[in-house]
Amino acid sequence: MTEAVIEVAIIFIKVVVLGFILFSLPLPLTWIERKIAGHIQVRLGPFRVGPHGILQPFADMVKMLFKEDVIPEQADRFLFRIAPIISMVPVFMVFVAIPFGESWTIPFINKEVTLYVADMNVGLLYILAISGVAVYGIILGGWASNSKYALLGGLRSSAQMISYEVALTFACIGVVMLASSLNLIDIVKTQTGGLTNWNVFYLPVGPLWFIIFFIAGLAEINRIPFDLPEDEGTLAAGFHVEYSGIRFAYFMLAEYIAMVSMSVLAVVLFFGGWDDPTGLGFLPPIVWFLLKVGFFIYLFMWIRFTLPRYRYDQLMSIGWKILIPLSLLNILVTGWMII
Amino acid sequence: MKEKKKEGVLDILKKVLFVDILKGLSVTVKYNVSRSVTIRYPDEEKWIPYQRFRGAHTLNKTEDGKELCVACELCVKACPTKCITVVPEEDDTGRGIADRVPKVWKVDLVRCLFCGYCEDACPTTAVRLGREYELACFSRDDAVREKERLLKPQEVPEGFEGGVVVSAKFERTKEGIRVKPDIWKPKDKNWWKKV
Repeated sequence: MTEAVIEVAIIFIKVVVLGFILFSLPLPLTWIERKIAGHIQVRLGPFRVGPHGILQPFADMVKMLFKEDVIPEQADRFLFRIAPIISMVPVFMVFVAIPFGESWTIPFINKEVTLYVADMNVGLLYILAISGVAVYGIILGGWASNSKYALLGGLRSSAQMISYEVALTFACIGVVMLASSLNLIDIVKTQTGGLTNWNVFYLPVGPLWFIIFFIAGLAEINRIPFDLPEDEGTLAAGFHVEYSGIRFAYFMLAEYIAMVSMSVLAVVLFFGGWDDPTGLGFLPPIVWFLLKVGFFIYLFMWIRFTLPRYRYDQLMSIGWKILIPLSLLNILVTGWMII
Repeated sequence: MKEKKKEGVLDILKKVLFVDILKGLSVTVKYNVSRSVTIRYPDEEKWIPYQRFRGAHTLNKTEDGKELCVACELCVKACPTKCITVVPEEDDTGRGIADRVPKVWKVDLVRCLFCGYCEDACPTTAVRLGREYELACFSRDDAVREKERLLKPQEVPEGFEGGVVVSAKFERTKEGIRVKPDIWKPKDKNWWKKV
């Protein structure tokens, strides 16, 4: 009885801690993104609020909270209200299945705690399915706003998701075939033991898996060069053009968390999760994990301030004509290699 | 129909290996680690203009403190916007270099277009357009500068060469805010011109 209570309590604490971390993650991330943007453009970025502008996100947050929450007169009020939540909740749900490490012993009481909330044997399937739901928030937000820009943004988003979700999933199939498991922990375990065991270096198909996954992932989380749903140049702000105040902040929150989840997924599937590439063990596994995730977050931001946006027809032809045939071919080759 | 250019093998290879994208990424990462060109005005740094700069007016004095202005009113005549007002008076106490000195010498900076004709017209080099460029104020009356204010020595002496960014301090006082430059502490902000 007490065992069960303790287990439930531990899961509860894990969920609360994870939720808290995820809610506060966008604060440093917006600051980092603006700093990187600034330095890439030979500026300084935010500098006046706090040392090196570190308190800027808090100022922004206060501003967002006190802004008027405008709902357009012609909007579908119920859907307009619920859309930011629909886009935000799934990206949080994704993290339930993500492992951050194997286990960690709490000092003093010697209780071993696993560093994941749920050990799902369909983890990868769950993550891909749930992250696909997030797009409904964008579509509904675009539709409910009753504005042509928002509607176009929402439509683009749905078309983009349909074409890139397929490629994303196909890119993951190779990894699943290799690990013969959908469980993310098993997938990481098959990659342990140094650089050469990582899936990305499973030659010759590994790098290709990763490139397909990465490009499709960029499109999936609406980052430049595939941020057509919120294309500033042609659609003002796309699907969230009518949103203001805290509802707009929800969309931003969802976008940043989605970026983190995509980085985490890239690390878990292709870069060996918490595996130590040096094999010396001078850093704990969780630090390796965070370093890898941090690199991917930087990569996403780096790409954002390097590349221009693709045109809509280019986006479609990249998705359907290149990525999907290539990923199918890749599955075939992987099958041969495993046999 | 637009004629489609045929792609060579090399072009396709370039696309497959993301050559152009990688080139772009290498450019941006170079800039990411390079120094920034932002001048941190008003908190830490301030731009001191060149000597040729035409900012707010100033009235000069001789070395022993006599007013150089002889109230000849040539600047008033030369001014295309009629923004300078001079009222002469007789004063033989040695306030000025001559017996004729200005009773009133004021310039309306809202009307002034900083052409520098008053400078050219002045026979005694009394009026000069200095290097002060922070001219924002709260009312139109504040923009009219009287003789007393113009006679104060300039923040940046005329002999100082200028054209540099120097370190500065942001000061908030009862009279308002100002950015006080420390002209002997130049900062190198021209590194990017040499790249």
